[in-house]
Amino acid sequence: MTRAADIEIPTRGPREDAPAGELPAPLGPLADSDRMRAVAQAAGLRQMGVRPPLVPYVQSVWRRRAFIATLGRSKAYARNQGSYLGQLWSVLTPLLNSIVYVLVFGVLVGTTRGMANPVAFIVVGVFMYRFFDSSVMAASKAISGNLNLVRSVHFPRAVLPLSTSVTELTTVLPTTAVMCVIVWASGLIPKYADEPITWRLLLLPVAIALLWLFNTGCAFLVARWVAITPDLKNVLPFVLRFVFYASGVLFSIDHYVRDPALAAVLGYQPIAVYLHLARATLLNEPEIQVDPVMWAFGVGWALLFLLVGFVVFWRGEERYGRD
Amino acid sequence: MSIPEEIDFEVDADDLEPLQEQERELGAPSLVVDDLYVTYRVFGGKRVGDRSAGRMQRMVSRGRQHVGGLTSVEAVRGISFVARHGESIGIVGVNGSGKSTLLRAIAGLIPPTKGSVYVSGDPSLLGVNAALIGELTGERNVMLGGLALGLTPDQVRERFDDVVDFAGIGDAVYLPMNSYSSGMGARLRFAISAAAVPDVLMIDEALATGDAAFRKKSKARIDGIRDQAGTVFLVSHSLRTILSICSRTLWIHQGRLVMDGPSEAVCEAYHAFVRAQD
Repeated sequence: MTRAADIEIPTRGPREDAPAGELPAPLGPLADSDRMRAVAQAAGLRQMGVRPPLVPYVQSVWRRRAFIATLGRSKAYARNQGSYLGQLWSVLTPLLNSIVYVLVFGVLVGTTRGMANPVAFIVVGVFMYRFFDSSVMAASKAISGNLNLVRSVHFPRAVLPLSTSVTELTTVLPTTAVMCVIVWASGLIPKYADEPITWRLLLLPVAIALLWLFNTGCAFLVARWVAITPDLKNVLPFVLRFVFYASGVLFSIDHYVRDPALAAVLGYQPIAVYLHLARATLLNEPEIQVDPVMWAFGVGWALLFLLVGFVVFWRGEERYGRD
Repeated sequence: MSIPEEIDFEVDADDLEPLQEQERELGAPSLVVDDLYVTYRVFGGKRVGDRSAGRMQRMVSRGRQHVGGLTSVEAVRGISFVARHGESIGIVGVNGSGKSTLLRAIAGLIPPTKGSVYVSGDPSLLGVNAALIGELTGERNVMLGGLALGLTPDQVRERFDDVVDFAGIGDAVYLPMNSYSSGMGARLRFAISAAAVPDVLMIDEALATGDAAFRKKSKARIDGIRDQAGTVFLVSHSLRTILSICSRTLWIHQGRLVMDGPSEAVCEAYHAFVRAQD
């Protein structure tokens, strides 16, 4: 530590005391900025409230990985507390959810929409889309929902969207197990195709991991935009609903869109790609096969969104928490 | 603006002795604040236009209050000072004078609009709901809070017993935090924050909760941090708390620093000012 005697600290000159009971005049600056900075540098101090360079920022986020994981998992756990069945709800909620789809599309609606097993098709689509949808919605509250934390502890703010992303991943794991069981069970409905378990199931974790990376990238983008412009939070549900219908969650895009250019755009946009990847690992549809081009797109979209999202979020670092 | 009388939440005359300031040698600067300004954006409110404006204009401006309501609030307006290792500094001022904002800004938690803050190490702020999740047990919150402060999981596990002992809440640590009384919650938060020994510790009214025994423990902890050459900042409405803990005091009024000096002198002037407002 630098010795005190080596540093000359600027002081204010003496002044007359204000009369008792009156407000003294405000005290001005101690010295000009250059002098103050020199004092701070001599004492080895670090400037606060400025954005660190990208590489040290990434390192400081990495050092907080235990915090990210614990915060993310704790939030997922806290979601299901406060009920009799507690953590059992992490399985019951997706189960009830898929029962609704099985009843509606397996029993009430008789059409197959050109698919061998529409129930399995829809269940996979809806569950995977929900993973994306809830990640984005949670990220929109990553800063504003943790303002207490932001205003009391110092850490790289990228921890917050990352931890909401971990929360959603923690939630999606039991959901995926339920999804696999429902898909297999839907094959037992007489008029629909069987859904045998194949080697392709091994690729499902890879598809989910890629979707998770993509979600995390989106989380960074949304977290920054909403933190700076809170109004976007109100627009977000409509954007997500549009993406829902444009991604072939409930129906096959090829089956409905005739224009080849439009079909290509809709087919290769990120959400459609990830739905395809997940379906290719689970379903027994002749039209949906494991396709290396789709996997390449899946990796590309994930890396692109993650990198761009992280940089965009980092560039706003010094602004989070001021509002 | 009417100024409320100083509220003495916390002090029974006998339980905090005045500061016995042995000649402590002050170290090098631990905090340099240079001409600091903090401006908040406040959504959902706007000052309605002045009365001399035409009727039409007033109607427009009244409508504007509800659409695009955005006000800038200048909470801190040009504050400069230098703090040194081993110093404990009180911050006094009437409600809304910018004390808490100043504290958060010098902790690096609210970015400055203008000016600079230079700090040694990672400052930590005490006495607010940090990473604590009400649905989770005290035990998990200790882990979460410790990690938030930058400790490693092993360090938190190592200090877990100390934290629980210091908080003195016993087996309640295995219950969800939303079942705690406000005093218990505050004790656990204080204990968690005290688990890491920061170079600069900021306390915002933290001593206002807890019983006499706990306040004594907290004071001992604060003295310990000063002995390890840390700097302590304390925001409090209780001048007696300030006098018993702080050697130096800053008086903030409407976002400006109006007095900076030994606690006795500043507290006396502040007290006289508050009395004169009645």
